This record gives sequence, structure tokens and C-alpha cells, in this order.
Amino acid sequence: MSAQTDRSATSGRQSADAAEGMTVVARTQAEIIRRRFFRHRAAMAGLVTLLFVIVLAYSSIGVGPIPGWWDKTYMSTASVLDGGRPTLSLVPGFLGGDGIRLGEHPFGQDNVGIDYFALVMRGTQQSLTVAFLIGFVSTVIGATVGATSGYFRGRTEAVLMRFTDVMIAIPVLVFAAILAAAAGRAGIVALGVAIGAVTWTGLARLVRGEFLSLREKEFVEAARAAGTRSTRIIFKHIMPNTVGVIIVSATLAIAAGILLETALSYLDLGVRAPDVSLGSLISRYETAMQTRPWLFWWPGVFIVAIALSVNFIGDGLRDAFDPRQTRVRD
Amino acid sequence: MTIPSNPSAQPQPGIQPGPSEAALAATPDVAAATGGARVASGIAAAKPPSREEVLKVENLTVGFPTDDGLVKAVRGVSYTVHEREVLGIVGESGSGKSVSSMAIMGLLPKNARISGTIRYRGEDILKMSKKAQRSLRGRRIGMIFQDPMTALNPVYTIGDQLAEAVLSHETVSRKQALARAEEMLALVGIPQPKQRLRAYPHEFSGGMRQRAMIAMAVINNPDVIIADEPTTALDVTVQAQILETLLDVKDQVNSAIILITHDLGVVAGTVHRVLVMYAGRPVELGETDEVFYRPRMPYTAGLLGSIPALDTASGEKLRPIKGTPPSLITLPPGCPFAPRCPLVTDICDDEEPELASTDGLEHWAACHHWTRLAEAEDPTKFFRAESEVRR
Amino acid sequence: MAAFMVRRLVISVFTLLAASFIVFWGTSIAGDPMSDLRGIQDEGDAQQQIDARSRRMRLGDPIFVRYLAWLGALLTGDLGENKFGQSVSGILGPAVSATMQLVVAATVLAIVLGVTIGIVSALRQYSGFDYSLTFAAFLFFSLPVFWVAVMLKQYAAIDFNNWLRDPEIAVPVIVVLGLVSGLAWMAIVGGDRQRRLTSFGVAAVVTALGLWALSASGWFTDPGLGLIAVVILSLGGAVGATFLLAGFRYRQPLTAALVTAGIGIVFYLFSEPVLEDPNWLMILLLAVIAVGVGLVVGRYVGGIHRRQAMPAAALSAFFTGGVIFIDYLLQAYSTYLSRVRGRPISTIGAGTPNFQGDFWESGLDSIGHLILPTTALLLISFAVYTRYSRASMLEVMNQDYVRTARSKGLTERTVVTKHAFRNALIPITTLMAFDFGAVIGGAVITERVFGWQGMGHMFIKGLQEVDPPPVMAFFLVAGGSIVVFNMLADIAYAYLDPRIRVG
Ligand SMILES: Nc1ncnc2c1ncn2[C@@H]1O[C@H](COP(=O)(O)OP(=O)(O)OP(=O)(O)O)[C@@H](O)[C@H]1O
Ligand code: SF4
Ligand SMILES: [Mg+2]
Repeated sequence: MSAQTDRSATSGRQSADAAEGMTVVARTQAEIIRRRFFRHRAAMAGLVTLLFVIVLAYSSIGVGPIPGWWDKTYMSTASVLDGGRPTLSLVPGFLGGDGIRLGEHPFGQDNVGIDYFALVMRGTQQSLTVAFLIGFVSTVIGATVGATSGYFRGRTEAVLMRFTDVMIAIPVLVFAAILAAAAGRAGIVALGVAIGAVTWTGLARLVRGEFLSLREKEFVEAARAAGTRSTRIIFKHIMPNTVGVIIVSATLAIAAGILLETALSYLDLGVRAPDVSLGSLISRYETAMQTRPWLFWWPGVFIVAIALSVNFIGDGLRDAFDPRQTRVRD
Repeated sequence: MTIPSNPSAQPQPGIQPGPSEAALAATPDVAAATGGARVASGIAAAKPPSREEVLKVENLTVGFPTDDGLVKAVRGVSYTVHEREVLGIVGESGSGKSVSSMAIMGLLPKNARISGTIRYRGEDILKMSKKAQRSLRGRRIGMIFQDPMTALNPVYTIGDQLAEAVLSHETVSRKQALARAEEMLALVGIPQPKQRLRAYPHEFSGGMRQRAMIAMAVINNPDVIIADEPTTALDVTVQAQILETLLDVKDQVNSAIILITHDLGVVAGTVHRVLVMYAGRPVELGETDEVFYRPRMPYTAGLLGSIPALDTASGEKLRPIKGTPPSLITLPPGCPFAPRCPLVTDICDDEEPELASTDGLEHWAACHHWTRLAEAEDPTKFFRAESEVRR
Repeated sequence: MAAFMVRRLVISVFTLLAASFIVFWGTSIAGDPMSDLRGIQDEGDAQQQIDARSRRMRLGDPIFVRYLAWLGALLTGDLGENKFGQSVSGILGPAVSATMQLVVAATVLAIVLGVTIGIVSALRQYSGFDYSLTFAAFLFFSLPVFWVAVMLKQYAAIDFNNWLRDPEIAVPVIVVLGLVSGLAWMAIVGGDRQRRLTSFGVAAVVTALGLWALSASGWFTDPGLGLIAVVILSLGGAVGATFLLAGFRYRQPLTAALVTAGIGIVFYLFSEPVLEDPNWLMILLLAVIAVGVGLVVGRYVGGIHRRQAMPAAALSAFFTGGVIFIDYLLQAYSTYLSRVRGRPISTIGAGTPNFQGDFWESGLDSIGHLILPTTALLLISFAVYTRYSRASMLEVMNQDYVRTARSKGLTERTVVTKHAFRNALIPITTLMAFDFGAVIGGAVITERVFGWQGMGHMFIKGLQEVDPPPVMAFFLVAGGSIVVFNMLADIAYAYLDPRIRVG
């Protein structure tokens, strides 16, 4: 701030003051949003659950060369103990249970004795990675396409929106399956990018709608009249006002992403053997439902836990960003 | 019913005398209850207001619990509406005008906390059964809303929405109801009413929609019409016409009107008495001329000073009252107007003044220092002083 | 309106065309179409087969040329052949009918249930019902379809079928179900404490007693409605239809609805010859006749209230017809049960292989096969529709015109069913168009779990084998039905909203 005031040019002073005013408003606004978000109980529960799952998945079996605290790997086989039943116990001793403990194989073992906890953790890592990639890629594409077509209008808009219509004509799962069929072989990063490349259409439409209305507002007109470059107007002036829509969408894209990836992996079109994802685990052990039901349950529980927490976080964010939200007590 | 005096209404050859009479004879019990005073017939000349009380609101209080606290939207409002009287309620935005009238209609959201009494011909509406309340709504008391663009259902025809108002209170055929609707459209000055019955709201202009709303409010010959800022949302050019239509129709059906507005200019020359509201409270009540020429509450004086002068034309620049009304959640203990009042003294901050009678006949005001206004030659001068200094 | 639809259709066709190229291209680069031949021991034989397939698939040409060739053939009505030389249209026929049954059943149920429950939830905002439903919707959004489907297969089919061998409901289960039903009704009915307690008590007791009676009388081994149940249900339906569409202020609509239900019951008594072994056309015809009878009765019994009486009577007629239909189905149940060896809920395929039976038995067979995949497919769409219609209804109930409707002194029933409901449906039509594509995607997964040889199977197999023609056939049907569904949504929109009819 002091550097700004030292400048003698009045115009510099004015814009600095204006900027100051803006940040003050923005800060209080951000504070209000943050407060609303942290008061949202479901969102908080979701956030805690999600963080727990992330920390558990990465710390237990480690990442790449870094080892985790769990002593078994997801590939090595061992002798099958107690028919592979899970040893995890959550009922404390004084309630008549076995006490709270993980045991030798908390999630049990499969038929060749692989530790299922390690395997599910690996699947969770892969599924989380792909889900976040999908969220990131689809948000970037969707926001860019939406912003460009909403801001420039005319031919640019027509071309982009027709293109979006073509994308929408293909059911998302079908489109994702087709791209994943090729990309899945190339590893999980390619898979995430490929799925993200087909799931951005909803966000593009939302952002375009916001841009269409915002570009007519005075502050944009003023910036344009002052000869500000288009990219600057888009990123500095309009984009900050659509941030709520984009963040909420990104969250929901992650939730949709994990469901889509696991579905594709279940169909053997996503993450391929020998690597695993939560979806391919279910597909692999589907037939063991009768004999070893835990092999079917664990990955499903993790998918639901992740998707549900992310959805709740998204709901909390939406409530926090939506200014119309005034809850009335009965 | 006779052809309305409104020149834009064309006599329709299609109108049969039959349904008109049926329409008028529809509320015989009311006529009986009021000693036959309300026999709506072809009398073109309007009857003057009587002393018969149709609606009596006493100590009405409305609060809304919200996350931030209880919003005290209306705090102890009392007034009486006499037969065929026009009562104006004025006040700034947020002063509780709409909320108090919605309480009469029973249209407040479920979480509203309401107390006090609202008597319709002696019977307390708030204590009535839901069913009795409903049969009052739209039949004895009609309501016109501010925004005609949104107040009509976009997916049903005008005729359907008018006829429905009749059918929900009377056992008549749809045809008869539609005939009454047509007649009402003619009454409010909509040309070609028969064809217009089949139109959808989006095919009407704003002014026409508001006329249709008026027709809908009076179609059951109510005793009271509540008009909540009926002209605010309209184009300036049609505002006067709509107001005229409203008053005209009132004379035809012999009902009283509660005219809510924040525009004192609308009040002048249209209403018999005025109630001024501020921060959920009535602050002044009296005959229109009394209140206009001898305001006894600085807020009213300020409002008068903020409109283009009436008779007291002076070349001075008129100023709106500075400041904003207090928060309805955390009200200060004293006079709610104190922070904006040029006459404020210590007592104002400590004690909230009651609505009490002043020097005028039936003229009430809630101000500790109303006598200072009475002493002043031009009560609005307190708000003008500052601007004079500036000049 | 017609011009608008034609314009939409033309645009849709071009959009589909562009999309079809993307699908063709994506499938062509999905992998190695020869992978199954690479393992063949005999090198010469393998090379020969590879050459033959390469020629059939025109692998020498660029992808775009192959696409044009496919498109050209399509214009002559030829869907081409797959890489093994089988005609695609031959495979497509049976696949389409299986999948469409599934998709349409799931969509219709999701719309009807989702919209109804969403609206009730909105009308009971912040109630226990509303909160539970919100949570359920979030849970459904977050469920992987394939996982649910596998679970349904295990618990709803295998375990249920096992239970049917000795169908008795244990007392604790009866108690729990009764309590659950009591809580649900308490939340739906709402009102003050006394009313809530009454609805809780009544619902809990009725449910528990009903279950107990069904269990004790061995109803589950030989279910049926019988005359008494048909009469009670039909008359109840008449009262319900009147409540929904007309209200009880005047007696004519109720009379009309009851008379119609009465006619239905009389028909039921003499229906044996007609309904012994009908076909779908006949059922459709009877449904139309029933509605027609309802309208006529409403017209004449309704008097000056015929505008309310006619729809109420028609709905009553339709409902009575439905009750009779269900009664006939249940009558066929015990024969059907013995023919499938006591396991009516199927987990594999779209129909029992080589099943021959009369109309009712094959009807039961379809239902037994459809019920689980439909349920799995339903959950997500159901959640979407409830959330959406709840939001829409909440928004509409805050509109000025709803306040106007109340200010006219209309009953709350009229305000909700006439003024709010129709407006709340308008944005839902847009959702219908979007959701249909998602259901088709879901069907691909569900078919795999339940081993249906439907279109989804065709698609996955084609994709995995890098074989464009079957994938393209799937896409044509899927894309085409999405376009058709979009048009239906547009028509519904135009019907509901007069503001866009002008165009
Ligand atoms: N449902 C509600 N919940 C909470 N506060 C409410 C509710 N309805 C109205 N209020 C508050 O009550 C106060 C009075 O509102 P009201 O609509 O009566 O004002 P008004 O005098 O009609 O103003 P206007 O001229 O703008 O129409 C306002 O501050 C408003 O915010
Ligand atoms: S009581 Fe005091 S503050 Fe209130 S209006 Fe009168 S003079 Fe002003
Ligand atoms: Mg108001």
C-alpha cells in the first residue's frame, strides 16, 4: 500500500484506493462465506471424512518409493488365515466385543492371501487421484469454454455452443467409456484427463450463463471503455464473480468423477489389471459375494464414503456461496 | 350493475342483464348484517363513508424468528376502517405496511408470530377457524398486490383466474362465473372483455394486468379492498389511470379501501384518513388534511418535506430525510426515529412515545415534542434548515 | 410450434451426425482389433484371418473414409456387419426391446415417484420427512450403480427367493416395519402434536396388523386381491382421485368417481372371458375405454361441477383398472411360481429362457426380470428428480401468484394442485431431457451386472473388441431415443407453459 501512495500520479492513487475498497468488500464477503461453510454440519462431517480417507490411503501403504506405516503390500500373497475373514474390530471389550484393534488383516484376505486392507488402500489412492484429476480437467475446460463463449458471443459462442451440444448428445458414460478404452491402457493420468475431457459440458453452460449476465454490468462496461484487454477483463473482473459457481461445480465433478471412474473400471474400461481401483476390485471379487462378502463390501463402502463426503462438501459450499440462502427457523 | 363511468369501458352487446343481477345478489347476508346499507344496485353516485366499523385492528404485533434474532416487523398497530372509507397507510420501505396487511389476509408465512386482534365486523379473524378465514379472504376482503407482472399465474387464462375466485366461494356454474368475470373486466376498463377472458397474462400490458387484478379483488363484492402499492410497479403514465379505476370501482361496489403506499402524493386527494408507519409502529393517524397541513410527528413532516411541495410551493430544494430506519431486530429503547430527528432531546432516547391525541380532532401522533411542531409556522422547515444553510 | 419442432429436429439430426463421427473415431482407436487372433498358434492361419478381417473392416482406409462408408451404408438402411461378419441389425433387434423396457420403466418410475415425493417434501419443508429424504437423496447420488445392483442381486433376489420357501414374517420385523411406517406417515401428514401422534399410531398399527395378517394367512405363497380387496381399493382410489383433482366441497365429483369405480367393479365380476388371456393391445384399449367411461360419467353426474368431476372420475376409472390388472397378475402368480421352481425374482437375463405362458404368466416373468435392474437404475434418477422437484416447488410456492391464489380464498389443496404444481413441473421437463441420457448410460452398467444381452452389452462388447459397427448401432438407438425424448420434453414444456406456445 505504501508503495502505491508514494506514487504521485493521481490516477494511480485513485485506482489504488478503488482496489483497496474492493479488497475490503471481498474480504468480508469471503469471511461470510467461510463462516457459513464452517457452520454447515453435513459439510463439516464430509470434510472430516474425506480428509480421514485421504490420509489413511496415502499414509498406510505409502506413495511410490516412500513406505507407509502398514507392513503389508497390496501385491504380496501370504497364507490365508481364518478363511480370510477381516480381523478389524471396533467394539470395545467392555461392551462384549474384541476390543478396538486392526489385527493381522483388518479387511481380510482374498483367496490367494493378499492383504485386503493394503489392496483397498491402493484402490482408494488410484480412484482418488483419478477423481481429482477429472474434477480439475473438467473444471478448467468447462470454465474456459463457458467464459469464452459467454464473453465473446457472436461466432465464437456459436461454434463453442454447437460443439458443446454435440458433446451432450453422447451420454457421458458412453463417451467416457469410448475415450477410456484407449486412455485406460496409458495409465491413470491419461484416464483422468480423458474422462475430464467429456464431463465439462454442464459447467460450461453454467459459466456461460453467468458471463452473459455479468458482461452487461457497469463495472465490465467501464473496464471495456477504459480499453482493458479482454483476457484481463475475463480473469480479473468477471471470473472472480463466478467463483462460487465454479467451485461448487468442481466439487460435484469430483463426486461424479469417482462414480464414473469406478463404473468404467468395473466394466474393465478404466484402471486395468494389474493396477487396481475401487471399481475394478468390486468387479474382481463380485463372484466371491457368497463366500467372502467382505471383498465386495470394503471397496463399495469407500466409494460411497468418498462420494458422499464430497457431495456434502459441495452442498455446504453451495449454501455458503448462495446469497439468497436465508434459513428461517420454525 | 351500470356501465362504469370510466370512458374507456365499452358497453358490450354480449352482456345479459341476467348474470349481472345474479352477481349483485350474491351477498345478501352482508346486506342484511348492515341493515341494508350495502344493497349494491345501480346507484351511480358513491355513498359517503359511514361510521360503521368494518375492520378494526387492535395492537397488532408480528415478529419473524430468523437466525439473527426476532425481526419485529409490526409492533402494536391499531386502526379502524369504516364502511366505504379510504384509509391510507404510508411509510418508508420496511416500515411494516405489507406485513400488517398480510396479517389481515392471513397470508403471513407459517413461522410468523402474530398477536393482537383483527376484527371483521366485530369478529376476531385471528381466532377464526382456518375455514372461516378462508371464506373471508377474497370474498369479504380482497387484495391487490404491488407487482402485476408476477401476481397473476402465467399458465392460466385471465378468465380462468377470475372465474376461480367466484367459484371458490359460491355454488354457480363456470359459465355464470365467467360471465361475472367478463362484466368485471368491463368494469375496470378493459376493452373487449369477452375475448380477453381467453388471454394469458403475458398477453396483457402491465396496466391491463393491474386492472385485471383489481377486477379479481372486487369480483365477489368485498367490504374491504387492501391495495398494497397498486401503482408503484407501473409506468408513471398509467399510475394515475389505475388509481382512478380503483377508486371508481370502489364506488361501484361500495367497499372500503386500505391504500398502502410510500408516496404521499398518491395519498393527497384520494384518501379520507392517513396512518403513518415507522419501524413497525403507527406514528401518526388523522384526517388527510389534518395530517398534511398540521403534521404532529417530525417523521411525517419530513416525508412531506421530501415530496414536491403541495400548496406550500416554495422555490426551495426539498430534501429527503437523512439516515436509515433502525434494525428491526435490535431496536433502541427510545423513539425509533430519534437518530434521524431534528427535534430530538434526551427523553426521546429513553422513552418510546405512545400514539396519543394531539390538538386536532381525532388526530393522533407518537412524539414527545409534537407541540413544537404545532408552534411552528411550517412544520417541514426543520428538515429544510440545513439545505438553506448550504445554499 | 410445428415449425419450431421441425427446426429442433433438423438441428438434432446434424448434432447426432457430428457426434456419431466422434463415436466412430473413438471406437476405432480404442485398441487392437486383432488381439484375439494374435494368440493363434498356426502363424499362417492367423495371418489369413487377420487379412480377411482387415479387409472386412477396411483397415487400409483412413478412419474418416471408413466412417463415410458406414454412413453411406446406413443411408440405405444397412447397419453393416461386425468384425466376425455377423449382421448387426440381426443382433440389434432383440437387444433394443430388452433395453428399452428397462430404460423406459426406470425413467417413468423415477419421474412419477421422484416428482411426487419431491413435492411432498417441499410442502413439508424442514420436517423429519424432508430431512430424511434429503439425506436419502444424497446417499443415492453417491451410490455406485454396479455396487447396488450386485447387492440387490444378493439380498433382494437370492435371499428373498430363499425366504419365499417359507414365507413368514418374524414378529420383531413386523414391529420394526410398523414403527417405520408410523414415523413416515407422521412426517408426511404433519400438523400439530395430536395429529402427528394419531397418524403415527394409526399407520403403525395398520401396517403391523396388515403384515401379520398377510403372513399368517400364507398370502405370500398364494397372493391375490379377491373381490373384497378390489372393492375397497377401487373405492379408496375414487376418494383419493376426488381429493387430488376436485376436493370434497361439492358432492358431484365424489359421486362421479364412486360411480365410475362401481362400474369398474361390476366389470370385474364379469371380466373372466375378456381377461382370460388378453394381449397388450387389448389392455391398452380397455384402459382407453375405462378413461372414456370415467369422462362420460363425470360429464353427466358432475352437473355444473363437471370440470372437476370429469378428471376425478377418469382418474378413478384408471385406478380401478389398475387394481383389476394387478388382481389378474396375482391370480396367475401361483402357477408362475411353480413353473420357475419357486424363485420369482430373477438375477440373470431379461426373461426366462424358452418360457411359454399366457399373457399374465409372461407378464409376471417380465416383471420378475425387470424389477431388480429397474430398481438399481432408478435410484440415482429418483434422487435427481426429488431434489429438483423439491427445489422447483419451494421456489414456486414463494411466487407472488401463489400468494394471489391464496388471497382469493382458494383452498390450500387448489393452491397446491392447480397453481403451484403446474408451474413447478415446467423446469422439470428440461431435466427429463438431460436425465434420459444418464439412464441409458446406467443401463449399460446394469445390464452387465444382470447379464442382459441388451444394447449395453452390445456396446461394451463392441468397444472392447474395437469393432465400430455394433457400437454405432447402439449409439444410433441411444442418440435417437434421446432426441425423441427431448422432443417429448419440449412438447410437455409447451403444453405446460403458454408463454412459449406462440413461437
Ligand atoms: N417472512 C419474513 N421473515 C423475516 N422478516 C420479514 C419477513 N417478511 C417481512 N419481513 C421484514 O419485515 C419488515 C417489514 O416489511 P414490510 O414488507 O411490511 O415493509 P413495507 O412497509 O411493506 O415496505 P415496502 O414499501 O418495501 O413494501 C421488513 O424489514 C422485512 O424485512
Ligand atoms: S419523540 Fe423525539 S425523536 Fe421521536 S419523533 Fe418526537 S421529537 Fe423526534
Ligand atoms: Mg410492502
